[in-house]
Amino acid sequence: MAGIVAERYTGASIKRSEDPRILTGAGRYVDDIKLPGMLHAAFVRSPLAHARVLSVDLSAARALPGVVAAFTGAEVEAMTVPGPDALMALMGASGPSPEFTLLATDKVRFVGDPVAIVVAESRYLAEDGCDVVEVEYDDLPPVASAAFALEPGSPPVFANLGDNIARPHSRTEFGDVSATFAGAERVFDFHIDVHRHQNVPMEGRGCVASYDADLGVMTVYAATQSVHVSRIAVAMRLGMEHDKVRVLAGDIGGSFGLKIGASREELAAAAAARAVGRPVKWVEDRGENLTASGQAREESFDVRAAVSNDGDLLGLDVKVVIDTGAYPGMGTMVPSIMQEMMPGPYQLVALGFESTAAITNKASYVAYRGPWASETFVRERVIDLMAKDLGIDPVEFRRRNFAARTDPPAMMITGRPLVGVTSSESLDRVTQLVDVPAFRRRQAEARQRGRYLGVGVATFIEAAPGPRSPDGPSGPMGMESMRLRLEEDGIVALFTGQMPHGQSHQTTLAQIAADEFGVPFDQVRVVVGDTDVVPFGLTGGSRSATMTGGVALHGARQLKVKVLDFASHLMEASARDLQITDGNIWVRGDPASAVPVSEVARQAASGQFADVDANLEVQATFDGGEGGWSVGTHCAIVEVDIETGLVEIERYVAVEDCGALINPAIVEGQIRGGVAQGIGAVLLERSAYDQDGNFQSATFMDYLLPTACDVPRIEVEHLQTVPLDADVNFRGVGEGGMIVAPPTLVNAIEDALAPFGVRIYEQHLPPARIVELIAAATAGR
Amino acid sequence: MKLPSVEYEAPTAVAEAVGLLDEHQDEASVLAGGQSLIPLLALRLARPAVLIDINGVAELSGLTVTDGWLAIGAMTREYVAEESATVASTVPLLAAALPLIGHEAIRSRGTIGGSLAHADPAAELPAVAMALDAEFVVSSRAGDRVIPASEWFEGYLSTSRRPDELLIEVRFPAARRGTGVAFLEVARRHGDFAIVGLAVSLTLADGAISDARLAFAGLSDVPVRAPEAEEFLVGARPSENLFEEAARLATAGIDPPADLHGSPEYRKKVAATLIRRGLRAAVADADERW
Amino acid sequence: MDITVTVNGATHSGCVEARKTLADFLRDDLDLTGTHVGCEHGVCGACTVIVDGRPVRSCLMLAVQAAGSEVTTIEGLATDGGLGPLQQAMWDSHSFQCGFCTPGFIMQATAFLRAHPDAGERQIREALSGNICRCTGYQSIIDGVLLAAERSRQG
Repeated sequence: MAGIVAERYTGASIKRSEDPRILTGAGRYVDDIKLPGMLHAAFVRSPLAHARVLSVDLSAARALPGVVAAFTGAEVEAMTVPGPDALMALMGASGPSPEFTLLATDKVRFVGDPVAIVVAESRYLAEDGCDVVEVEYDDLPPVASAAFALEPGSPPVFANLGDNIARPHSRTEFGDVSATFAGAERVFDFHIDVHRHQNVPMEGRGCVASYDADLGVMTVYAATQSVHVSRIAVAMRLGMEHDKVRVLAGDIGGSFGLKIGASREELAAAAAARAVGRPVKWVEDRGENLTASGQAREESFDVRAAVSNDGDLLGLDVKVVIDTGAYPGMGTMVPSIMQEMMPGPYQLVALGFESTAAITNKASYVAYRGPWASETFVRERVIDLMAKDLGIDPVEFRRRNFAARTDPPAMMITGRPLVGVTSSESLDRVTQLVDVPAFRRRQAEARQRGRYLGVGVATFIEAAPGPRSPDGPSGPMGMESMRLRLEEDGIVALFTGQMPHGQSHQTTLAQIAADEFGVPFDQVRVVVGDTDVVPFGLTGGSRSATMTGGVALHGARQLKVKVLDFASHLMEASARDLQITDGNIWVRGDPASAVPVSEVARQAASGQFADVDANLEVQATFDGGEGGWSVGTHCAIVEVDIETGLVEIERYVAVEDCGALINPAIVEGQIRGGVAQGIGAVLLERSAYDQDGNFQSATFMDYLLPTACDVPRIEVEHLQTVPLDADVNFRGVGEGGMIVAPPTLVNAIEDALAPFGVRIYEQHLPPARIVELIAAATAGR
Repeated sequence: MKLPSVEYEAPTAVAEAVGLLDEHQDEASVLAGGQSLIPLLALRLARPAVLIDINGVAELSGLTVTDGWLAIGAMTREYVAEESATVASTVPLLAAALPLIGHEAIRSRGTIGGSLAHADPAAELPAVAMALDAEFVVSSRAGDRVIPASEWFEGYLSTSRRPDELLIEVRFPAARRGTGVAFLEVARRHGDFAIVGLAVSLTLADGAISDARLAFAGLSDVPVRAPEAEEFLVGARPSENLFEEAARLATAGIDPPADLHGSPEYRKKVAATLIRRGLRAAVADADERW
Repeated sequence: MDITVTVNGATHSGCVEARKTLADFLRDDLDLTGTHVGCEHGVCGACTVIVDGRPVRSCLMLAVQAAGSEVTTIEGLATDGGLGPLQQAMWDSHSFQCGFCTPGFIMQATAFLRAHPDAGERQIREALSGNICRCTGYQSIIDGVLLAAERSRQG
């Protein structure tokens, strides 16, 4: 395969260096790992939503040929160090801590809650073992909804909490809420629901854990968004020193927020590996993934909005109840982010925000791409609903209420500066691309023929990483570290704590470093996935474009200074006169002086330069610089078949501003992939429970992911309006598509159904629901 | 999600397969294309003691036309039938339904007999067989017998095949001159099982309907015909008003099931919509074909 | 049971339990881990391989059923350690992200393009609708297949 050469790599759609292995089946995912003597784990899982565990009998499983060991929840607790959920602890969650065990001990709390682990010579045999485990349960009343969970009489899912409140009710006010609402010409009230849906990466969770008893070292091959976060969890729970735990990761088959750190099952598998003295692999199957890996969203909102008759948005007062599922985690943390993001790019006089998080007998609420996304859905939905009632065009309503782009920047009422936010520009551009007036004519004509077309827009801002806070010394998302080294063979190696799982960091970081250092793209190697060699880091939160792109840029710059310093001795020239281009170091103005970087690297490694710093390595950090927002407006045109409720997306256009693009094709892939998940959320995907907490979407026949026939071509246009930082103007783009596609689509569907007077207060619109909405709206006529 | 332990037999002749069925009776599952059975095994929802794999029984594959009937060997792969010019010209309704079964890779392995023996009421082929009054030939130690479609489907995933019998052939009547067909379905996604599906076959003679066949998928635990609507259509000339009334008659007495994808009311509404659209499409198809 | 299967042109003999799927046989017994297992109940298409010229879900076929067959997996497509034409077109089109669904898409598209070299976008989308990708929104994958088809038409 020919090398990739470009004048400047950053900003070009350089072909991915990940692809040659991925396209040939040579990628190495966790399930591809095979260690000598490796065993396979499977879990016995609860068939009940809420029950006491009276007994667990493993004797038949242990007696089965091929089964090596089996452990109950209590036995796993005895093999490990009790503690709270590792991620909760890491994120410093406050409030009362529910009882937490790796496997269920005294009671099961959702359908799929793991009760016992069986370890056998193959996964087939491990599942055979699970089949013969006998568990005696005593049914408890299921807590199948947040509303029931918050009723005083609901049975506490965690006895030590005494109730089902995971995050105590809180209220915060910005501006004078009561005066704003009292003085408003119009006040609207809405109740809006967002349904439970989930990440569903094509590769589920999984690990291979291997314990070397002689060295006392645990090695875990993981599917994770951070090898270091996984290591912390393993060390904490197994009671080991951090330096005795090594976590490695290869290719990872997607995550979307699911694989932050090590899950309960992975920790149980690691404990089992230590106990049996042989490596243990656990890779969840699709049933486990859908039932037990975690789910997201499911929030209900009561929204009041204060507006003027002319459509000036003055105030919002929002109450949210989150259904955290059984083991509270991310669900308790999301309300704070929602509150901060609630104003979006709009100028508000006042904001009230109340939240409560309720524990229920469902799979736990986890982070899913844009965890706070429901606030954007609610805001962008409410704007369309109000615009209709006020007789104002929803596009005009938005334009009118965007905070003006001023210097100094307007402040969100919740505190952050809206610096470089180009919502207005993206809205203008997207409506221009779609030609809304022409569409309205076509829509009117189609309605005459009994066809129902609709157009919808929605806008978002995403802290990716967010602006530098005026009063804070550090950057918007902590610090990012990177070790950079010129290896003996002339390769510039970047050691990063990022753990790519589809984001293409091995390409994008190499593009930046190649440009900055002055070597060809192929001469940069991005090293990930080994706690022994990479610094702390986490891939998530759309932070890596700025944070890691930035540290790659500054780190390459620092490494270059060091290399030129060394070269200056070798080449007997002042470092100031040296430059690096195309992999050669040369004295400015003297092409004949060129020495390959690889030759300089070889010399440095030769050990002949005692008086010179020949250790061509730097440790760089970056605080995010000026940071900034990623911003965009999307527009969808849909057609609804009113007899079947099927929705066809005729056109979808995204105009986004994520600053300077590192690799346009990769950016567009992120946007399109996010939009596809948003389309899935609205039209197809629901993690369905019945009223007794039985899970009804445990296969891919029931949990429906969008296919190539469900996702249209997604047109993407980029704005790159406002450089904020001297060097680093790349902003993250991982979450925006998923955040803004649901309101875009629902707004378009409601527009299509306007002749029937349909108003939509929910996110999930399968065909049967659309037909129901039309029937309900027309029944009263 | 691994299959449970199971004994495996791979007969190479019908007689051998029938012998094995006789021996194991309802302890055995017949493995044809496996596109429904293997998922049930993987989910451990089916736990037969023995799998009798009939993929090696060569005599069970093939398409033959005799006396106005198309006979299809039970092991004939769906893709083979889909690509067959014989199927397209003799039983166009079957040809219309085949591409809607799952996805290409499913049809590579899936078989005509397997789908009909599995008898998923939301599947395409059972509705086609019901609409056309297909005949099912089963074989056992006691000999062969022929079961009409109206007696074949007994309930959800259940047929009148006895445990010692093997489905060896399905016969579809060839379409008569003037026949137009349509297979329509509303599914959540392309390739999914239908929420409601409809097989329509209309024969037109001198501008009037001489034969009407309507069979639904997804409205009951078996595929169901719409006899009142069929009767009403025969003798009439196609018109929008006629189709409207046929839709009313076809859905008047039905009591469809509820599931994640649709309530009974929704299915009923879609069923009526499909009747109108299906009749329109079948008339257009007849116009084009003859 | 003892079986002999030809995989990517090489003959393999082995002893397998009847219940073992072809996918598990390829991955565990032959160490051909390029074939990925995404749902094990025949919906996601990640495990698609080509058996006797047809695309097949290797999670819905028993290994014993492949006895005597010719199986092609993702590992069998590359030529001389490089990329086949479809793989090359997909690289050029930035088709994939995490790569987990990739082998299934490539095998399905390979089989489809052989039979339908002139297929247009609609047909390609339908042919690939039994393969699920969670990362890309499909457009880049469809573009890769279209590019490969166009290149093969131009010779």
